[in-house]
Amino acid sequence: MTLRILKPGLQTTVQAGPRTGQRHLGVPASGAADPLSLALANRLVGNAPFAPALETTLTGVRLRCDGIAYAAVSGARAKVRLNGERVKRHRTLALAEGDELEVGPARAGARNYLAFAGGIVAGEILGSASTYLPAGFGGFEGRALRAGDVLQVGPFDNAPDMLRTPKEFRPRATTSWALRACYGAEVDLLNKESRFDLFDTNFTVGNRADRMGLQLEGARFEVASGGRLASAPVFPGTIQCPEDGVPFLLSIDAQTIGGYPRVAQVARADRHQIGQLRPGDHVRLLWRDVDSAREELLAKHDYWREWLPGISAII
Amino acid sequence: MASDDVPAAPAPEVFLCGDDLVAAECADTRSAQALADHLRESGEWIECVAGIGSCVAQFDLASVTAEQAERRLMAAMQTVPAARDADAELVKVPVCYGGDHGPDLDDVCKLLGMDRAAFIARHTGGEYRVDMLGFTPGFAFIGGFDAAREVPRRPQPRVRLESGSIGIAGGRTGIYTLSGPGGWQIVGRTPLELFDAGREQPFLLRAGMRVRFVAIGDEEFDAGRTP
Repeated sequence: MTLRILKPGLQTTVQAGPRTGQRHLGVPASGAADPLSLALANRLVGNAPFAPALETTLTGVRLRCDGIAYAAVSGARAKVRLNGERVKRHRTLALAEGDELEVGPARAGARNYLAFAGGIVAGEILGSASTYLPAGFGGFEGRALRAGDVLQVGPFDNAPDMLRTPKEFRPRATTSWALRACYGAEVDLLNKESRFDLFDTNFTVGNRADRMGLQLEGARFEVASGGRLASAPVFPGTIQCPEDGVPFLLSIDAQTIGGYPRVAQVARADRHQIGQLRPGDHVRLLWRDVDSAREELLAKHDYWREWLPGISAII
Repeated sequence: MASDDVPAAPAPEVFLCGDDLVAAECADTRSAQALADHLRESGEWIECVAGIGSCVAQFDLASVTAEQAERRLMAAMQTVPAARDADAELVKVPVCYGGDHGPDLDDVCKLLGMDRAAFIARHTGGEYRVDMLGFTPGFAFIGGFDAAREVPRRPQPRVRLESGSIGIAGGRTGIYTLSGPGGWQIVGRTPLELFDAGREQPFLLRAGMRVRFVAIGDEEFDAGRTP
């Protein structure tokens, strides 16, 4: 079974799980920017949580399938159409040869995941099939999809059950986000007032917002080092404060080493939401000590386990 | 704290820098590397990354508490084998200095109060060591260019640099393996492909290797690019 891309959208890539254990070589995580939504879409078509799927960015995608397929869409709020007719997200969709599936522009949230039973066929490079755009490897030819691209979908044994994600397991994309976060390594370089402001500012996501990271505008922070620092390890969820004083929240493609003070770290429990932030969204950081952050992660895992048994390997 | 570009601050040796990240301050970058390697070999951590004079390890917060992680890290610091650096491989990196390949060369020369020829002689005259790979795949932080200790990063990173760009900042030389954004002062460019995901050995340089820079002209640069 193959898929033909008719309208590629702003940036549609093949994404699967992250690359792990190679940050010391400079290899970023990459993979789905919102791994929870990827897993939810894959669940509906009977795939493993991190089977390769399509990740759309803001504008959506339109494609045609040339055989029988089962698909599902999860992620940002957007209209989905099958041959022009509205269909629901969060459901298993049965597609016949020649059917056209379209995901419209995201109205809240930034990214949708289109999973197909059998998964998109993509070879593993450095441990994952995910596209890493800055280096041009993984996924489909290491790049974002273009009109006319033809993707292979893997075989599947049985038609999947026709499922609906229960309402309580559909993450709601919003325009106003709260991210729990702990202090970062260099938070002491902020004075007391700035530290307070960091967790009391209604930030706006700036126009520079991509898979590498996002600017959080709304307050400027002066750091005692003058904004420079010996190069130190950074991770998805690290919030750096560069010399211009505008905090920068690192996302899934984040570099492995950074030269700016690390003032906060988004808690693991909420990192999957970073992939849904879009320019203009509001973001608040909620301070947590590390013990509460762990309790909240375990509580979140407990909540999701009923629908996604492998949740502790997903978020 | 290493004698690096950070003002010395009283910091505990091991501390948390996130809910699932624990950091260790190390005497220098080589001991940070040795610690990261040691932690990685234990298989107990998700990521073990050395920075300049520090090491950060990521643990699985679902199965390990922060306190356990801190204790594990402290215990591991007692058993790190001494850094092995005898007979490290020497790699010669050809560099085309200045011009379009090195747009910041003149600024750097001005900062250092030397002319281009003096800068190139100085940069090619030393033997350096790869402190670490990081930032993006294969980006090499190469230590030991002490003459440029006072050269800062650019206040605003450049949006796009060519792959192979050679940057200077804080006494280090950095080689950009990918085209993309970057904040170091660019003095030249190498035709070598330091990273290629499709190669059997994707990374040309590894932490600990010795490096010498060799000045080349435009023609050699063009000839050295793999088609």
